[in-house]
Amino acid sequence: MTAFTADRKNTDLNHDSGAVAYTSNALKLFMEHLDQRPERKLLDVGPACQENIRFFASRVKKLYVCDMFIRLDRCIRKGSPADQIWEKIDYPPQSFDGILLWELADRLDDPDVKRLVTLCHTLLRPGGMAMVVVLGDQSGSSAANAFVVGQNFRVYLRLQPHLHLPLRSRQNRDVLSMMAPFIPAKSFICRPGFMEFLFRRE
Amino acid sequence: MLKKNRKATAEPPAPPKPVSVDSKTVIGDQISIEGAIRGKEDLLIEGSVKGSIEVKAHHLTVGVKGQVEAEILAANVTVSGKLAGNVNATGRVEITREADFNGEIKTRSISVEDGAYLKAVIEMDREPLKSVSPSGKPEEKKSSDPIKEPLILAGKGSKGI
Repeated sequence: MTAFTADRKNTDLNHDSGAVAYTSNALKLFMEHLDQRPERKLLDVGPACQENIRFFASRVKKLYVCDMFIRLDRCIRKGSPADQIWEKIDYPPQSFDGILLWELADRLDDPDVKRLVTLCHTLLRPGGMAMVVVLGDQSGSSAANAFVVGQNFRVYLRLQPHLHLPLRSRQNRDVLSMMAPFIPAKSFICRPGFMEFLFRRE
Repeated sequence: MLKKNRKATAEPPAPPKPVSVDSKTVIGDQISIEGAIRGKEDLLIEGSVKGSIEVKAHHLTVGVKGQVEAEILAANVTVSGKLAGNVNATGRVEITREADFNGEIKTRSISVEDGAYLKAVIEMDREPLKSVSPSGKPEEKKSSDPIKEPLILAGKGSKGI
C-alpha cells in the first residue's frame, strides 16, 4: 500500500517535564518494516544520542550512525561549503534497509536536500524505507534537537545547544516534492506544523 | 675502595619506566607510538598511537588530546579524543562529548554524550533470553518491542545507561 495519508487521530502530543514529547507512529511502522527485512541494517544520520543507539542497536543486526548534524555544524563554523559533508556518507549502494533522516532536510538548502535524497535513494535497498521529520512553520524555535526514542515509541526532543544550524521550514508538499524518487508510504501530523513521513524505495 | 666504585659503576642504569599512577600507564601528549601495545593495567593515551591495543581486562582511555588509529581490545573503553578503528569491549564503551570516533564498536553497553561525533557501526552483544513461555519454548524478544529504561529528559547531554 503506497497511499499517502495524514493521520491526526493516532498522534499523541505531550509535554513531559517541559520537554516536547509525542508517540511516533511513523517510527513504530518504520521498525515493523525493518523487522521484516532479513538483514535489518539501519543508518541514523543523527544527532547521535545514547538512548537511540541503545534502542536501535538492540533491534537491528547492524546500526550505522553517521552524525551529519555535527558535520554540517563544523562546516558552517569553518565557513566551508556544506556539500563537503556528503563525502562522509561513503557507504556502498544498497547498503541499508532503513534510513532515519529525522529533521536533517530542514537544516539544508535545496541543492543539498536534493543531494541527500539522491544519496538515500542510492543507499537504500529496494523496498527499504526512509523516515523524515519536518518541523514546519510553527516549530517555534530554530534550535536543533535530538529525537530521543523512549518506551512505547515515545519521542522526546532534547535540545542540542552545541549545534548552530539554520532552519529552513518545509511544508507537506515540499517534502513530497523533495522525496520524489521515493514512494510516499505514510505521514503523520504530530502537532501543528510538525510532520513525520515514511517513504519507500521501489 | 676502588673495587667498590667499580662495582657501582658497572651496574647499568635502570630503564626509565612509563608513568604509572595507581596501576595506570599514561602515554603523554608528546609521545607517538606505532605498533602493538599489550598490557595488564589501565592505559590512558594522550599522545598518538597507531597499530593495535590489547588491554583485555582493563580500561583504555583515549584522552582529549589523544589521537589513536588502532584495533582495540579492552574491558572498558572511554573515548574523549580522536579514535579511528575498531573497538571490541567486553564491558562498556563510553564516548564523551569531545570525542571524534570513526569505526566499529562491539560492546555490551554504550554511553554517548550529546555532542560527540560518531561515524560508527555499532553491534551490541545481546544477553541470552532466559524467560520461558508456557509452551516451553524460550520467548523470542520481538525486535520492535520498546525497551524499558529510564529516559533523561533534561536539555543537557546525558551520561550513562
